[in-house]
Amino acid sequence: MSSVSDFDPSRRRLLGLGLAGVGALSAGPLLSACASSAGTGGTPTTGGAVTLQSNLTGAAKAGVEKLIADFNKLGKGTASLNTVATEIFRTQLPTYLSSANPPDLYTWYAGSVANAYSEKNLLLDVSDVWQGMGDYPQSLRTLATDAAGKQVFVPMNNYWWGFFYRKSNFAKWGVQPPKTWAEFMTLCETLKSKGIPPIGIGLGDTPWVASAWFDYLNIRINGAPFHRELLAGKQRFDDPKVKAVFTKWREALPYFDPKGKAYPFQEATTALLAGKTGMFLIGTFLADATAKDVVEDLDFFQFPIIDPAVPVAEEAPTDGFFASAKSANPTATKALLAYAASVEAQESYVANSSGIILPAHPKAKAADMPLVAKGKAMLAGAAELTQFFNRDSSDALQPTADTALTRFIDKPDQIDAILAEWQKNAEKVFKG
Amino acid sequence: MTTVISTNSTARRRRSFRPSPLLLTFVLVPFAIESIWVFWPAIQGVFFSFTRWDGLSAPVPVGFDNYVELAGDPVFRGALGNSVLWLVLFGGLSILGGFGMALALQRERRGVGVYRAALFLPVVFSMVVTALVWRVFYQPDGLVDQVLTAVGLEHLIRPWLADPETALYAVIIPALWRQIGYIMVLYLAGLKAVDPAVHEAAKVDGANNWQRLWHVTIPQLKGVNAVILSVIVIDSLRSFDIVWALTRGGPYHSSELLSTYMYSAAFQSLRLGYGSAIAVVIFLLALAVIIGYLVRAFREES
Repeated sequence: MSSVSDFDPSRRRLLGLGLAGVGALSAGPLLSACASSAGTGGTPTTGGAVTLQSNLTGAAKAGVEKLIADFNKLGKGTASLNTVATEIFRTQLPTYLSSANPPDLYTWYAGSVANAYSEKNLLLDVSDVWQGMGDYPQSLRTLATDAAGKQVFVPMNNYWWGFFYRKSNFAKWGVQPPKTWAEFMTLCETLKSKGIPPIGIGLGDTPWVASAWFDYLNIRINGAPFHRELLAGKQRFDDPKVKAVFTKWREALPYFDPKGKAYPFQEATTALLAGKTGMFLIGTFLADATAKDVVEDLDFFQFPIIDPAVPVAEEAPTDGFFASAKSANPTATKALLAYAASVEAQESYVANSSGIILPAHPKAKAADMPLVAKGKAMLAGAAELTQFFNRDSSDALQPTADTALTRFIDKPDQIDAILAEWQKNAEKVFKG
Repeated sequence: MTTVISTNSTARRRRSFRPSPLLLTFVLVPFAIESIWVFWPAIQGVFFSFTRWDGLSAPVPVGFDNYVELAGDPVFRGALGNSVLWLVLFGGLSILGGFGMALALQRERRGVGVYRAALFLPVVFSMVVTALVWRVFYQPDGLVDQVLTAVGLEHLIRPWLADPETALYAVIIPALWRQIGYIMVLYLAGLKAVDPAVHEAAKVDGANNWQRLWHVTIPQLKGVNAVILSVIVIDSLRSFDIVWALTRGGPYHSSELLSTYMYSAAFQSLRLGYGSAIAVVIFLLALAVIIGYLVRAFREES
């Protein structure tokens, strides 16, 4: 193929092209350097500017926008909000934290998730912020403390889980909220005889909702300490104690809404509100997208007591902020955290969001609703609080639970194989 | 060509063996860019597949551990089986469907453009949007269930995307719906290049339609077939978005493909070393299929 090129540009043009080529070559690394910092949401460090990387949407987003706006009026720094879709936020969080120029603050969880990052020295030590947060209870301080004994998290609010139902529907069907497991089974039977699928569930696309069942049955039967040890890898999933959880769960399986396997929890919520299911074990976020007048018709009952000898524990996931250890502006970052921990900030946050959450500050008032008062009382009366499966273990362990639990709901007969497999998968995650 | 060169001066000839700087520029610049953004990360991926890495700490070298684990991983085997099934069903049906549609819409008649456009339209839609629409069809009491109820087949109704028996097939249908239009367009282009004179000759010789299709048209589509086969293999192995958007590989890994398993191992379980090992396997599979085909094609050519 040694033909004379019929494309023979003049030398000058060639020189230009050559230069452009060299330019492109040298621009390559430069561009990639830019890309790595731009892609991780890094911010130029001007005086007092901090970025809050947030995954909050809907009503909660409005609450956090208000928080930022109020903080900026104080003159202790200028904060800006960067909202990212939850799924992206979750998968990118390690990347954000380990990048050279990370966002300063993040909305995320306390407990083992924060501790895991803190162990890798990625989180800012906020112990001096806690110095000025004297009113906070010891339980929240413990939750925000990492293995080395320093505080790395500032709580904003928590919420609770329970069996939600519509008061008008329970009245129509002539049933009462149960207290014990036996009463709960009777209620399920009654609803089923009336042709209503008793228990709603939403596993399509949101299979983690099933973890609430596992968490609750485990803390009701084996207690919170065992549950925490199991999720920390100190106990085995193929332990007979864990099998007991599933034996109990099987009693309730016939009452699950069969369509729930295909719905996400949002649609399961719609089904509950439309009276197509009787009750739904879910967190208070179900009210985020619910009309105000319907919220007034909502009520919940505590997950039934199974063994009265076991100290009562409740799930109360705590949301809040942590900050990057590499924050270019730790002073303004801590100022924002200190403001977020104040009564005024938390009351305004609760008022601006859906309202069915509890501010972390003990003196901050929650929304004035019977439902909220009831939830608050339930958490206050609990001997122990757990967070939720992924928050008490790690986000990496959650998929192993999703696989095991959805398979159990589908094929309860295979429980021994499911638990053996779960243990194997969990070991892989703990090993890294 | 060579005669032209032989009449040229020696200087001219010597220069003709040297590639022009312009050509060099056009080759080297993309190559350099590609190296930074494609080859280097790919090589890094191979390196990571021999490590244990959570994306935060330094990677720990573990030798062939990830590959040993892959060999004994039932989920990986399931994903591999699903990927092969996907390749055969998605690939085979889209070639059959695309070729059939191309033959049907080959002749220029009035209104044929409308049909072609209608079939090609799904290709234009983003896959994720397609998935969202199909999810509405499949949901309980959705369109699929309503149609079945209307024709009296209520007993077939099941949670299509949540039932491990049906999930993968329920995902293949929207993927096919999109791919058939794409393959059709490629075949339409190929059919345009078929020499009509040969058809005329075959007609004169008394060949019927089937014989003409089998002995005249199909042999002339060799070049297009090579392209389509590569496209199908690559598209099958990198099918990800539609599965992820519809089922996330669930319920409990029953609709997992190699690509979705790679993603969830790397970014959900945060085992980036293991995910890289899966990625290497995907790469080798694609390479093996395509090289195997190309070698055969070249052998036939020569």
